[in-house]
Amino acid sequence: MSKSDENKPISAKNFMKEFRRYQKGSVTRRHFLGVTGLGTAVAVMGTAMPSLWPGKAQAASDLGDRLIFSTWPNYHNQAVLDRFTEKTGVNLQVNAFGSNEEMLAKLQAGGTGWDVFVPTNYTISNYVALDLIQELDLSRLPNYDASANNPKFAGPATVNGKVYCVPKNWGTTGFIVNTKKIKSGPKSWKDFFDVTMGAGSGHTILHDYQLTTIGGALCALGYSFNSIDAKELGEAEALLIKSKPHLFAITSDYQPGMRSGDAWMSICWNGDGTQLNNDLPEMEYVIATDGGEIWTDFYAIPKDAPHLNAAYAFINYMQDPTVQALEAWIHGYAPTDSRAIALQPDSLGSDPILHPAENLMNGLEFGAAQTLTDPIRAEVMARFKSA
Amino acid sequence: MTMRGVSKSNSWLTVVLLAPTTLWFLFMLILPLIVILVFSFGERAAVGGYGGGFTFEHYLNLPARLKAFQNTMTFAPVGTLLCLLVAYPLAYYLALKVDSRYKLLLLVLVIVPFWTSLLIRTYAWIFILGGRGIPSLLELIGFEGVRLINTPGAVLVGIVYGYLPLMVFPIFVSLEKLDKTLLEASNDLGGSPFKTFMQITLPLSMPGMATGCMLVFILLMGEFLIPAFLGGGKVFFIGNALVDLFLQSRNWPFGSAVSITLVVIMLVTVSFYMRMTLRSKTGRDESLM
Repeated sequence: MSKSDENKPISAKNFMKEFRRYQKGSVTRRHFLGVTGLGTAVAVMGTAMPSLWPGKAQAASDLGDRLIFSTWPNYHNQAVLDRFTEKTGVNLQVNAFGSNEEMLAKLQAGGTGWDVFVPTNYTISNYVALDLIQELDLSRLPNYDASANNPKFAGPATVNGKVYCVPKNWGTTGFIVNTKKIKSGPKSWKDFFDVTMGAGSGHTILHDYQLTTIGGALCALGYSFNSIDAKELGEAEALLIKSKPHLFAITSDYQPGMRSGDAWMSICWNGDGTQLNNDLPEMEYVIATDGGEIWTDFYAIPKDAPHLNAAYAFINYMQDPTVQALEAWIHGYAPTDSRAIALQPDSLGSDPILHPAENLMNGLEFGAAQTLTDPIRAEVMARFKSA
Repeated sequence: MTMRGVSKSNSWLTVVLLAPTTLWFLFMLILPLIVILVFSFGERAAVGGYGGGFTFEHYLNLPARLKAFQNTMTFAPVGTLLCLLVAYPLAYYLALKVDSRYKLLLLVLVIVPFWTSLLIRTYAWIFILGGRGIPSLLELIGFEGVRLINTPGAVLVGIVYGYLPLMVFPIFVSLEKLDKTLLEASNDLGGSPFKTFMQITLPLSMPGMATGCMLVFILLMGEFLIPAFLGGGKVFFIGNALVDLFLQSRNWPFGSAVSITLVVIMLVTVSFYMRMTLRSKTGRDESLM
């Protein structure tokens, strides 16, 4: 991370240091909020936008005391989530998922009790077609500013002219390399699989997620990340099965393996790349030269959400630019909202992992809707795992 | 056994007593099984789930999960046997050797791990067996590059750790109620400790061993958590295949076909196993079965 944020109340590096101290309990919450400016920021925000904070008494009747939220691992700033509970009396029950397919399976089975969840761009049109998510009443989300969001990222939220969700973050899917262990500097998915079956044998993690794992293999073979062509998928399956004996694991929870030094390479989302790189400088995030994924995640409300008022209050809170900036500070994923980007320290605004140069992203593709429901992709993944 | 009871007695009390169990079995076991059976002959809907129709395609596709069946059919018996080997000395010690003052305390210690979810305890093993755990200690004494996590061995460690209490208790109970005067008699008649163990203790604890093995084996056949965590997705059980089919690829019909196949395999193995243990002279004590 660059060191150009001296003019901010606290540098990103010091922020992380203080955050770890707080997490470990070596400093109090008050010290942490004071030193980092988080307390001030949230307090200022609270006074500036009183409408954001309904009183507790009102909250109890309007919002209820519970919100069930399904999201992804390592994707939130706990202080921000705690602040929501403190201010509204709504307790969050957070579930973390490893793939969109798993979220879809749960929603299709029904009775999830979820109020808010975080789907990725390519799933939205499927959810609408299956009648699983609600059209949003944007008048209940005053913090959301459509004009501040780049349509490139926010586009999939609108299906048939109706808005079904609002953007959370965007990012890329590439891979992370432990450069102390792997010196050859892999730059493409082809290199990634070559190293996996060569010098790095036994130390690679692939996601337990069809989109990225099959997508990576397809790119290595020179095909589209989104291919649903049976022949191309057959080749990808052969490559995956050939590489399987050389893998360390197949899991979307790849940070523990990378941190312990057992795994040397993994398919990786860029924010996790930032998190790993912050703690272990030898971790290098790579956007592959032969393709990969660019994505946006959204906040959406399932059709049968039991705590609808709380769901709107929560999404509205998360759309506040300051809250978005505080979130991004911790999880390392870029906001899509220009108001939030403006609030970020320069080091994050110009961070090459968060905001890669346009030319690096030329080969990246947004996930395609048909990959979610394509039976061949699903079965290729399942066969690879049970091989 | 219950069926025999019903037909022999017409008293309303029996009916009342059996009604809850019967309803439970009907609605929680028989009906769901019928649903699964019907699903297994259906088609996968375009977006996943069950789409009606009638086809044998999913049963013909079973070889695609051969490796998972093989893994389960290998790890379940091997894991059961390892549990037995570790549990027997422990149960023996608890039942026959330990000072009665400490017995209760030690028994409670065997149960204590159950107070924490198996998920959390298994997750902890990831760090114990991971690169910064035992392998880093081994490195200190000169064994470099030892891999423990995400290997079949790690899965077996997890299985023995997780299932041990289920094996210890039935064996403990059968050893506990063993008539101690038999051991004294054997001793008085000049039997060596080894001979006494082989001819008296071991046969009389057979029902406990049989029960423990069955408990562990049946649960292991459906296990998916331990291989997922400690096998890193590389040691794949039939339970993992089922999780995958229902929670990832949403292929309910194929998942149902795999489930029905697993149920059939279980029924055959378990009934064969029960017949073997019941037929053998030492297994006559049915009280624990």
